[in-house]
Amino acid sequence: MSALPAPGAATPRRKTRRVQPAVPLAIIIVAAILVLIVGLALLAPWIAPADPTRQTLLMRLKPPGSVSSAGQLYLLGTDDLGRDLLSRILYGSQISIAVAFLSVVVSTVVGVSLGMAAAWFRGWVETLIMRFVDIMLSIPAVLLAVLTVAVLGPGFLKLILVLALTRWPRYTRVAYAQTLQVANLPYIKAAELAGARTLRILFRHVLPNIAGPLLVVATAEFGLMILFEAGLSFLGLGIQPPAPSWGSIMSVGRQYVERAWWIVAFPGACLFLLVFSVNVLGDWLRDKLDPRSRSR
Amino acid sequence: MKRLSLAAAILACLIAPAAAQATKDVLTIDAPNDAATLDPHLQWDADSYGVYRNIFDNLVTRDASGKIVPQIATAWRTLDDTHVEFDLRTDVKFHDGTALTADDVVFSVKRITNPDLKSSQLSQFNQIVDAKAEGPGKVVLTTQSPYPVLLAQLVKLSIVPKAYVERVGDQEFNLKPVGSGPYKLREWQKGVQATVDAVDTYWRGKPPFKTVVFRAVPDVSTRIADLKTGRADLVRLLPPDEAIALKKEPALNVLTVPTERVGYMFINAQAGPTTDLKVRQAIAYAVDKQGIIDALLQGLGKPVNSIGADPIFGYQADIAGYGYDPAKAKALVKEAKAEGAELTFLTSPAYDRRIVEAIQQMVNDVGLKVNVVMLDHATFLRRRQGTPAEAGQLAIGVWSCACQDADGIIFPLFRTGSTWSKYSNPAFDTAADAARSTLDEAKRMAAYKSAYEVLRQDVPGLGLYQAFASYGARKELQWQPTSNESLFVMDMNWKR
Amino acid sequence: MLRYAAGRLVQAAIAVLGVLTIVFIVMRFSGDPTLLLVPEGSTQEAVDALRKQLGFDRPVVIQYLDYLQSLGRFDFGISVVQRIPAIDIVASRVPYTVMLALGALAVALFVGLPAGIAMAVWRGGWLERCLSALALTGQSLPTFLSGMLLIIVFGVVLGWLPTSGAGDIRALILPSIALGALSMSTFARMARIAIIDELGKDYVRAARARGLSKAGAVERHVLRNAAIPVVTVAALEIGNLLAGAVIVETVFAWPGIGQLAIQSIQSRDFLVVQVIVLLISIVYVLTSLLADLVYALLDPRIRLAS
Repeated sequence: MSALPAPGAATPRRKTRRVQPAVPLAIIIVAAILVLIVGLALLAPWIAPADPTRQTLLMRLKPPGSVSSAGQLYLLGTDDLGRDLLSRILYGSQISIAVAFLSVVVSTVVGVSLGMAAAWFRGWVETLIMRFVDIMLSIPAVLLAVLTVAVLGPGFLKLILVLALTRWPRYTRVAYAQTLQVANLPYIKAAELAGARTLRILFRHVLPNIAGPLLVVATAEFGLMILFEAGLSFLGLGIQPPAPSWGSIMSVGRQYVERAWWIVAFPGACLFLLVFSVNVLGDWLRDKLDPRSRSR
Repeated sequence: MKRLSLAAAILACLIAPAAAQATKDVLTIDAPNDAATLDPHLQWDADSYGVYRNIFDNLVTRDASGKIVPQIATAWRTLDDTHVEFDLRTDVKFHDGTALTADDVVFSVKRITNPDLKSSQLSQFNQIVDAKAEGPGKVVLTTQSPYPVLLAQLVKLSIVPKAYVERVGDQEFNLKPVGSGPYKLREWQKGVQATVDAVDTYWRGKPPFKTVVFRAVPDVSTRIADLKTGRADLVRLLPPDEAIALKKEPALNVLTVPTERVGYMFINAQAGPTTDLKVRQAIAYAVDKQGIIDALLQGLGKPVNSIGADPIFGYQADIAGYGYDPAKAKALVKEAKAEGAELTFLTSPAYDRRIVEAIQQMVNDVGLKVNVVMLDHATFLRRRQGTPAEAGQLAIGVWSCACQDADGIIFPLFRTGSTWSKYSNPAFDTAADAARSTLDEAKRMAAYKSAYEVLRQDVPGLGLYQAFASYGARKELQWQPTSNESLFVMDMNWKR
Repeated sequence: MLRYAAGRLVQAAIAVLGVLTIVFIVMRFSGDPTLLLVPEGSTQEAVDALRKQLGFDRPVVIQYLDYLQSLGRFDFGISVVQRIPAIDIVASRVPYTVMLALGALAVALFVGLPAGIAMAVWRGGWLERCLSALALTGQSLPTFLSGMLLIIVFGVVLGWLPTSGAGDIRALILPSIALGALSMSTFARMARIAIIDELGKDYVRAARARGLSKAGAVERHVLRNAAIPVVTVAALEIGNLLAGAVIVETVFAWPGIGQLAIQSIQSRDFLVVQVIVLLISIVYVLTSLLADLVYALLDPRIRLAS
């Protein structure tokens, strides 16, 4: 944003394009929030004031700022088992972010590989993959997740697997559509004629060309995965107790909203900030990368 | 601006004052689920039971103190070890106007024990091998062998109208049940609510409310919101923290009652580190039962010395339990050379997560390492009742056989060969079998004394607390809930 | 066109069958309902007997073939829990689900579309930022929390709206908001992009060069053309709304398909789950087929790739 006097209302409606800064302030802010949250998550073992799983049953549901008889300060209060909420949120951010991030990575890898393969080889490969995508997409994600947890059992890795399993078809669709467009570009054709190996073409030439829209999908999905994990926690299928995740802290705390607002308020605010930031970033990326909206 | 005013108008419509409270003729009860079936011979989960027991009469029932008292049967006598004779009321009419006769009782017994009905309750009645009408007001039931808990099981037997069921068929009967109880079904919106109307000519007297609505509200927070706003007059299954919070509400009442339900912990004696008796004993000493009751149950529970409680026949009040003694527990773990041994604690959303986590920490604190594995309930049951190796080392439960007899508790939990048992001791088996095959109460009591004594020594499980049931109700509702957690509308009324 | 539609229908039928098969197999691997149905203290014999009576002791393949056979007769089986035809159970929930989906769609459309249009027209201004923040807010809180907050604020504290249930139309408002908030920002973004896209086209530039204001251009020309992608998204969104309401329905005690689905899975009421999955997958393939056809009709330039 420029330091000039605000042009706003006073400026006549002429076609004077303001010089757009390369990165708007809002994006810098949300990026800073993201870095802060991820940084705090990584530093949790060093900055958390207490063991996130250590209960003190006599200190249940204490408001922020309470001090225990042993002299421990609960900066953000305690949860329904007398555990330090601040520490749980810090450690919980590790789990929530890791689950979301890894599930996005896994579904991107699986989904994009299949999507590119379908678009590149066409024929029966295409039919097989894309019809399978249709099938997976038409099973409601929540049902699929609940079913899979029921069969596989719970756990951190399985949670990631479940999320990836329900989400990969979305990436496949995008990768497929994009690859179809890119595959006809002259230089790709040239590479093919020159005898380059398929894998090399796909990963060296096609992938960079379709990465933009995929990145947009991935950012949107990242926010969604954080919420999805929370939803599974609400249904009792999330991360295993006593390990915390934002979702599990909140699904416990919602019962106490009126008496112990802090249990949902603080992780809720963190989750909101994170998802909101990721979404703003995603929208901005979309505008930057989408050739259509760039045209104006 | 035009649009803004339109928006304002819409908003004004939305915030029109809420409709006046339901009239006093209607009692609304919020339960977690809709009834699964209203055919009383099929499912018997608490939510179905709560509704259909108000539509049907049973052969016998329990009074407020838990004693078995007459309902359709007025008196009964044991003819010999396997035959019991019942005298029946002759003035009872079904909602369709036909009289309830001995034929209906015989039909009900035969219907529920017929495997073709695929009743989930079959195993509670399959000891009854025959039912015969001896005249209009007499029925004789034959059991396979001496069966001391026959009456306790018959508390759960609803009498259905033979003619009606045969005419409309099982499926139609499930949807449009006709009974002889104080209320008759008006409308059943599956998944939403069941509405029943009073039968003014009911033989036990005029029912207290003209209409009762049983609503299905799965989320406990929503049930409480309903209660606070007057959308519900009574809600079931109030968690302890909520019960304490609701006590502060001037318009509401919290009703609590000690039940026959026992909170217990299972300790696997046949797989993992807990095969060592010392480890099991260490766990028993490690758990601070009073701490759990005070902090997590908010006092809505009572410590027990074994897996039993006062309302249960066979409970030994004078047996010595395991006190809270972490030092002794640590020593035992050390003695067993089990420091850091890993234990799997199976659980499901059906059990109180806070108690699981609290016990996890208590057991960890004496030198073991507990991993909680949260499963969905169907999977939990499959593993818990599977092989010893699948069942994990620890699990909690809140057991009720709805029969107020130790036979319904320790027999399925610990008898060799039972699905829940991961433990085998011939001394216990002998005692449990003896208690089950005699009708002599003194002998049964003696057998349970030795059975509980063996369990105390072997600790294949640990009694934690006698559970209390909590209900939230409007102040005007007058009702004393009973230890068997039944929901008889006949026992309720508005305060005058 | 007809041939294309017929081909797609055949593919859709195969997809639906695939869905049913996958769900059938996964469900059977998750165990059967017998243990949930019997009284807690039942003996192994009693459990086995009921399992046999219910037919769950047979090999999965036999059960599957049996299922397909009855499916061929349009017999969807009887729920082992409720003991009435599974199709009746699901059918009784459909009206509620449709009501909630429409309510949520209305919220999403009436808030999302105007917001998207405003964001496109006043692009780069403070209004766009405020609106986009607002639209994203709906997507940044878990519904079990936002639903709870709505109940407490509007139901308990203010007393304006019912806290739960499905008795009257006012009870629909809060769940619609909770569910619609999720789709709202999708619509807002779609509308924004579609309109920005159209605004950049030559005919709009020409119109504006003739002195038509931006708002006028949007009103006269852009909206109709921008509607195409929005229709497509709306169609797909309906599918999501029908199935995606599990948590909202649970929180508000709204007796829709979502609540039934989760309860049926938890109680292993297989046949009810199968009917739900069948219904949802049919709705899904039909809406995406319909969206493609509508798309093709509205814009003949689009070649139907088969």
